[in-house]
Amino acid sequence: MTHPVATPARTQRRTARAANKAKDPAERSWWSRHQRSLAPYVFISPFYLLYGLFLLVPVVVGLYLSCTEWAGLGTPRWVGLRNYRDLLTDPSFWTAVSNTALYVVFTLCVVVPAALLIAQALNTRGLRGRDLFRMTYFMPVVISPIVITLVFGLIFDKDYGLINATLRAVFGFGGVDWLGEPAWARVTVVILVLWRWTGYLTIFFLAGLQNVPRELYEAAAIDGAGPVRRFWDVTLPALRPVTAFIAVTVLVNTAQIFDEPFLLTQGGPGESTLSVAMFVFRAGFQRQQLGYASAAGVLLFVAVFVLGQLAMRALGVGRSAR
Amino acid sequence: MTSVTAPDTVSTSPSPSAHARPPHRAERGRVASRALLYAFLIALLAGFALPLLWALSASFKSRGDIFSYPPQPLPLSGTLANYRGLLDGYPFWTWLLTSTVVALISTVAAVGLCSLAGFAFAKYRFRGQHVLFNVMFSSLAVPFAVIVVPLFIMVAKAHLTTPYFALVVPWVAPAFGIFMMRQFVEQSVPDALLDAARVDGCTEFGLFRRVVFPLLRPALGALGVWSFLTSYNSLLWPLIVVSDPGDYTLPMGLQVVFGATGRQYDLVLAGSVLAVVPSLLVFYVLRKQLLEGLTAGAVKS
Repeated sequence: MTHPVATPARTQRRTARAANKAKDPAERSWWSRHQRSLAPYVFISPFYLLYGLFLLVPVVVGLYLSCTEWAGLGTPRWVGLRNYRDLLTDPSFWTAVSNTALYVVFTLCVVVPAALLIAQALNTRGLRGRDLFRMTYFMPVVISPIVITLVFGLIFDKDYGLINATLRAVFGFGGVDWLGEPAWARVTVVILVLWRWTGYLTIFFLAGLQNVPRELYEAAAIDGAGPVRRFWDVTLPALRPVTAFIAVTVLVNTAQIFDEPFLLTQGGPGESTLSVAMFVFRAGFQRQQLGYASAAGVLLFVAVFVLGQLAMRALGVGRSAR
Repeated sequence: MTSVTAPDTVSTSPSPSAHARPPHRAERGRVASRALLYAFLIALLAGFALPLLWALSASFKSRGDIFSYPPQPLPLSGTLANYRGLLDGYPFWTWLLTSTVVALISTVAAVGLCSLAGFAFAKYRFRGQHVLFNVMFSSLAVPFAVIVVPLFIMVAKAHLTTPYFALVVPWVAPAFGIFMMRQFVEQSVPDALLDAARVDGCTEFGLFRRVVFPLLRPALGALGVWSFLTSYNSLLWPLIVVSDPGDYTLPMGLQVVFGATGRQYDLVLAGSVLAVVPSLLVFYVLRKQLLEGLTAGAVKS
């Protein structure tokens, strides 16, 4: 396995073997005659086996459970659409929805543009230390979310955290209850999202920027376009596919946000940072309302699917998949 | 592979905008904007690195010093007591071993299965290919929240909650990995090479094993580090499915330590520092492959 490409010696050996085989084509087995047409199915079958068992079956079971009442013991009791009706009148659920919407809007409107800005800066010609910058910005994604949230808990501590201590030293005021007050807790979660994901998105934009043909910029410059104009007329259109990919990915992933609010604030104080995925977790595994949790999961699925489709339609992604 | 450093080679030529203006003014503006650019990038660098360095430093402080005022950047009276307390009081190495073994098994299996499927989608034309590909790709949009309850019930009813099954098998063929490998096979495996090997009597699986797999090595690194980190860092699913304390993974263990010490930071920070070492190491060794591998699909389509 160490040779990257077949060496001449190996080719010769193979040719010799092929000559042996070619002698009696009639004796070739059924498999060796059909292998070329069957091979792709064999190669993709493990995925579809797992897909069926661990995705399709759970989705179907989830749909069924969402119409039942079940605490995990005995048999589920069929209740029709009652869970859905209850969800739509459950203030906690709506809190979770509006918090999740806030996270999604923030990610799309702040994190994505910030990533583009940083990528643009990193793409400057002749920049030194590009790799160091890029790697450091990317690092938060590599680190376990629990470690990150511990670090955030440490520096955002109300009494002795680094942030409040710095604020106190510089402005003489540092009593912000970052994790204990509903509005600030949301801000802290959002800062954590920004810190954790910006560098990750940056590398996609940077790769996109590096693929923009330089001639386009030169032509625009000859036409008298300034830097801002070049950004709007050359960079943004050229980045369209990458931006579309990022926007859809971010939308789908942020709608399912769990780690950040769960670890940082446990959804609190109260329910002020609760997300929909956390709502599902809480109903299912802390309150044993498995049917109710499934119904919330199904609603999240529908929302993600519809929003994802709309975004793909609007941005024109997915057409390239042959 | 896209060449990341290519722009460096032309750095000496003036930027396009410089043509229009008198040279000395443009030169001064260029220096100023460069300084501003570096200031911006270095400030960001600090923003990303400082919290982590702060935690590293705090892990060497005694419990009382972690929240001293004014804040102390360096652990002046540095102590290893946190590390000793953690390693003596908790089965840290067991957690680390479980997490690492689970992550390694997942990685090996994911790399094999995803590259095999990616190869099939990239280099064969077969009936139902289009539909099968879209089915595979659409699974990316299924939220974990919708399958988590039923999946847990299935795994629990089948008594398969051991981490070596429950944390590995359901996640071992991620659609994202297949998509990524398909892009790579298309880019880096010439059809002529496959045909030549077929003429030489190579079987279809032999093609994969002897021709495609070796050519894919950079991409395998990317997928490998991605799977390793995803598995090593995952928390929600282990939290749900693993119930035996003897089977805890590292992130779960850190939660246990944090809870058991009454949400004090001393021991858990020591644990965090140790826990981060493997992920940073893997990332550092395979960083180029990972970043290029992640972006390959996005940029192309």
